[in-house]
Amino acid sequence: MLKAKWWKVLSFFLLLYTCTYGFIVKVPKLDDRMRESIRNMFFHVPMWFGMMILFFVSLFYAIKYLRSGNPVHDVYSYAYASMGLVFGILGIITGAFWANYQWGSPWVGDPKQNGAAIALLIYFAYFVLRGSLIDTEKRARLSAVYNIFSFFMLFPTLWILPRLTESLHPGGQGSEGNPGINGKDMSANMRTVFYPAVIGWTLLGVWMSTLNIRYQILKLKKEELL
Amino acid sequence: MISLLQAMTANNADSLMLRDGKIYLVMTVVSIILVGLFIYVASIDKKISKMENGAKD
Repeated sequence: MLKAKWWKVLSFFLLLYTCTYGFIVKVPKLDDRMRESIRNMFFHVPMWFGMMILFFVSLFYAIKYLRSGNPVHDVYSYAYASMGLVFGILGIITGAFWANYQWGSPWVGDPKQNGAAIALLIYFAYFVLRGSLIDTEKRARLSAVYNIFSFFMLFPTLWILPRLTESLHPGGQGSEGNPGINGKDMSANMRTVFYPAVIGWTLLGVWMSTLNIRYQILKLKKEELL
Repeated sequence: MISLLQAMTANNADSLMLRDGKIYLVMTVVSIILVGLFIYVASIDKKISKMENGAKD
């Protein structure tokens, strides 16, 4: 069965482009510390973009589940949330590694670092909640409601509070606009890699989520719950 | 196989792999990993498709 394949192929070529041209594209020399490590923008930052998009899709299906009661929507919501969490964990690990060489310590208590950690902990609780309920319908309903709460906690933790205080990340107090999309540190050259990187990594996440979804649905069918 | 690999690297060594602080070497390594990962994900995709087809019968 051919499941619309083009975007999987697109994801491969966008990431191949990212992992080749990303190393040789001309980048601005911001300071003596940053040097070539600004290329992490093609790998570390798309993890967070991807996480936000996957969590948003998860939220969409959580709301859909509450409206329909269809267990398939719960499967979708769960799969996208877990893939989003994987992206978030990769983002925080790569961030800590980068911070060690840029800021002198893996954890400097930067408002965005702390906010991201809180946001991830809130999503961890989503899986704890799911794991603690045996009744499938109750689990689906409660976790969908909690999913909505955890998505909206991204607003203060990632999108508002880190921008109100001074931050080592771009986009803190005193800088204008969205750090990822119209921050001043990224040159036009870098954008030609950055946007394809975001799309490529996100599509890979979507692909792996759909694999999980298809596996879960097969399992439900085998247990004759669907 | 190994001698073939040596011959290939010997031919390309001066031209590409050793240039610019050997960044192209890193680029190749990352690309190989990426290709490997995608082959793996695609194979899982195929296996699940097969199971889905089986489940229908």
